[in-house]
Amino acid sequence: MKHKHFTICATTLLITALLSCNSTNTTKPETSSAEAALAMVAEGNPEVAEVTGAPKVPAPIGARAAKKLIVNLLTTEIEGIIADSIPYTFWTFNNTVPGSFIRVREGDEVTLNLKNDGSSILPHNIDLHAVTGPGGGAAATTAPPGKEASFTFKAINKGLYVYHCAAPPVPMHIGNGMYGLILVEPAGGLKPVDREYYIMQGDFYTKASVVKQGLMEFDNDKAVAENPDYVLFNGKKGSLLGANMLEAKVGETVRLFVGNGGPNLTSSFHVIGEIFDNVYLEGGSTVSHNVQTTMIPEGGSAMVEFKCEVRGEYVLVDHSLSRAFNKGCIGKLKVTGEPNEKVFSAKTLTKE
Amino acid sequence: MKLISLLCISLLMLVSCKENSEPKQGAETTEQLPSNSIFNLTSDWQNQDGKTIKLKDLQGKTLVVVMIYTTCKTACPILVAKMKMIESKFDRKDIDKINLVLVSIDPETDTPEHLKEFSIKNEMTGPQWTFLRSAENATKEFANVLSMKYKKISPIDFSHSNIISTFKPNGILVSQEEGDINVDKVVTTVNQTVRKK
Amino acid sequence: MKHLIILLFSIVIVSCSKESEKETVYKNLEGNKTDTLQSIQSTVKMVYIPGGEYKPFFGSNTTLVSVAPFLMDERAVTNEEFLEFVIANPQWQKSNIKRLFADTNYLKTWPTDITLPENALKDAPVCNVSWFAAKAFAQSVDKRLPTLDEWEFVAMADETTANARKKPKYSDSIIDLYLQKNRQFKSVKQSPPNYWGIYNMFDLIWEWTDDFNAVLTTGDSRSGEYNDKNLVCAGGATSATDVMNYAAYMRFALRTSIKADYTIGNLGFRCAKDTTIIKQ
Repeated sequence: MKHKHFTICATTLLITALLSCNSTNTTKPETSSAEAALAMVAEGNPEVAEVTGAPKVPAPIGARAAKKLIVNLLTTEIEGIIADSIPYTFWTFNNTVPGSFIRVREGDEVTLNLKNDGSSILPHNIDLHAVTGPGGGAAATTAPPGKEASFTFKAINKGLYVYHCAAPPVPMHIGNGMYGLILVEPAGGLKPVDREYYIMQGDFYTKASVVKQGLMEFDNDKAVAENPDYVLFNGKKGSLLGANMLEAKVGETVRLFVGNGGPNLTSSFHVIGEIFDNVYLEGGSTVSHNVQTTMIPEGGSAMVEFKCEVRGEYVLVDHSLSRAFNKGCIGKLKVTGEPNEKVFSAKTLTKE
Repeated sequence: MKLISLLCISLLMLVSCKENSEPKQGAETTEQLPSNSIFNLTSDWQNQDGKTIKLKDLQGKTLVVVMIYTTCKTACPILVAKMKMIESKFDRKDIDKINLVLVSIDPETDTPEHLKEFSIKNEMTGPQWTFLRSAENATKEFANVLSMKYKKISPIDFSHSNIISTFKPNGILVSQEEGDINVDKVVTTVNQTVRKK
Repeated sequence: MKHLIILLFSIVIVSCSKESEKETVYKNLEGNKTDTLQSIQSTVKMVYIPGGEYKPFFGSNTTLVSVAPFLMDERAVTNEEFLEFVIANPQWQKSNIKRLFADTNYLKTWPTDITLPENALKDAPVCNVSWFAAKAFAQSVDKRLPTLDEWEFVAMADETTANARKKPKYSDSIIDLYLQKNRQFKSVKQSPPNYWGIYNMFDLIWEWTDDFNAVLTTGDSRSGEYNDKNLVCAGGATSATDVMNYAAYMRFALRTSIKADYTIGNLGFRCAKDTTIIKQ
């Protein structure tokens, strides 16, 4: 089932990649600025944007022109598993931690509809770091339980941005998982790659609920002390392990959209046994090459790209290693294919 | 002679008093109010002439409404200036189709005399200008209908949000401009509302 | 003839002078027409709160606000009581209510105008009521909604002290209650009362206050002091006086997110009343 999905995904990516290669070779995306994006006219009727839960990402924007998009997000307060079958009350965008990945193009005109589920206890809102304007939309989208709020913005700065709930008390809303990523692609799209994945780190502070036995909840004191019980990728221990490992094949290029929701800890993102060919530092326009570990501030992101040369399992960590070994911040990428002894060969010496 | 003049004065006063009560009777005849019309509010208000009216009496004209207090030194002068700009940009031949309404959030200070004085000082004296105050209770209720926030900080000082609202002649809200109000946007809205009528 | 004229003149004087006594008129200006509301009997016990000075959650650290003595309902208004109110006042039934006064979710779970939902407890707090509806109910029992300061004054208490704000677990224990789902469906008065003898300040519902719209912060809490003259004309400080009081942040977040016609599944109210008695 999973495999089938991946195949479809990969095929779609490939086709899109081919198409966009053909048509966009002439446009040089890197030259456009915020002013240029501002001048782009979003044509046509608004369309509802595809959004995805981690680790999936929506299809690349490819060669399309700027358009009007509608992004629908639902805020919820739900029980989920944080680690080892321990339930925790998460607050979410679209029922997942991190929230849905939003993919737009520079020049797009985005109407963001935020509905707060009727079963919520608290008001919620959204601050998108991709927005230029007061609070990133926070005040404009504040919705009490059962209500909906919306605002429209023009994506004028390309890059990979964090969004999060900014309703008071903000650390609590973020600490419970209310964050996600929004990618603003340059005109013509990012360079096509074989695989794209969505990963977001967060620190979690827990204590036992006084009401429901076994249920864990946000612990304010631990959060203020910045002493988390868990530091996790994608809101759950093991979310990128075992059957949930990320996958790629030898020879393929991989792009990871990595965000850090926090609320408190900066991430030293590292893939053991890989070197990042390209890192879009802090999710912006500066590309650094041959990077071992990239710093991702909370409320920030990075886009990392590398080619898979050697088969095996590659461990994703926050290189503040106690978080990886003791607090759950660990995931894996499994690369399959033929051995590549030119790059890596290990000989086992046996005593005889 | 004395007798005749007394009679004249009496008649004059009688006539003027009668005039005061006329709009009320007029309002009674239009009963079909939309459910979301602000004219559903039954509170009593006083205008700058000291006349007691109901909001219903404002029916029939496009309304541009702002809540202020006249002793405000910070935001309200800007709001008042914006109301004047809106008024000045309006087509003169349609001026009898709009009513620019300034509602006080400080009814204790803003007596009808005070409002009248304020209107003269700011040259807002034509029939298109209405200044209103009511009891605190009704003021709060009206602010809530406009989703406007305000708080009395001291006997002479209020915090409040800045909102200019446009209503159709039947009291249905068309749109609101909040914060850094764009005068031209309000004028466009008002013009559209007047023409639709 | 002369007599008649004088009589006429005096009538005119009397009727016109009514208009000129502006101060009296101001005092008599009516907020809404109470005479159109049918009174209903309220049996809820009211508790005397002596008032005093207290530090509001939003303001400057040195400013104390004085709260006058008042009476407060020991519990929230229940489903049963609100049913009685709408039976006596059909204009507040869900099919009759003016859209100006409540959104379309008003009493949303009620199957008819005058029937409670089958699974609803009669003595659970009524929710999905707008500020206008809550205010009308309060008038029908000859009471009013508590002010924000009154409500927050009472909210300072825990079970044993009038002001428990300084206790280390004050905010946390309230949040524990806030985070319970579906608590609005429980009966009132099932948990212990606070120091004053008031029940359920935190464990059932959010509550309307009369001046909920007097909170001049936005839904965005990070700006600290809110003083953008373009957006609001804020004479008073709007920064929080206790940044560790997460429970208060949550309450005020809710208050800033609502409008008077909103009806919400976990938002109800209780009533209060003025008192002239000053107890020691």
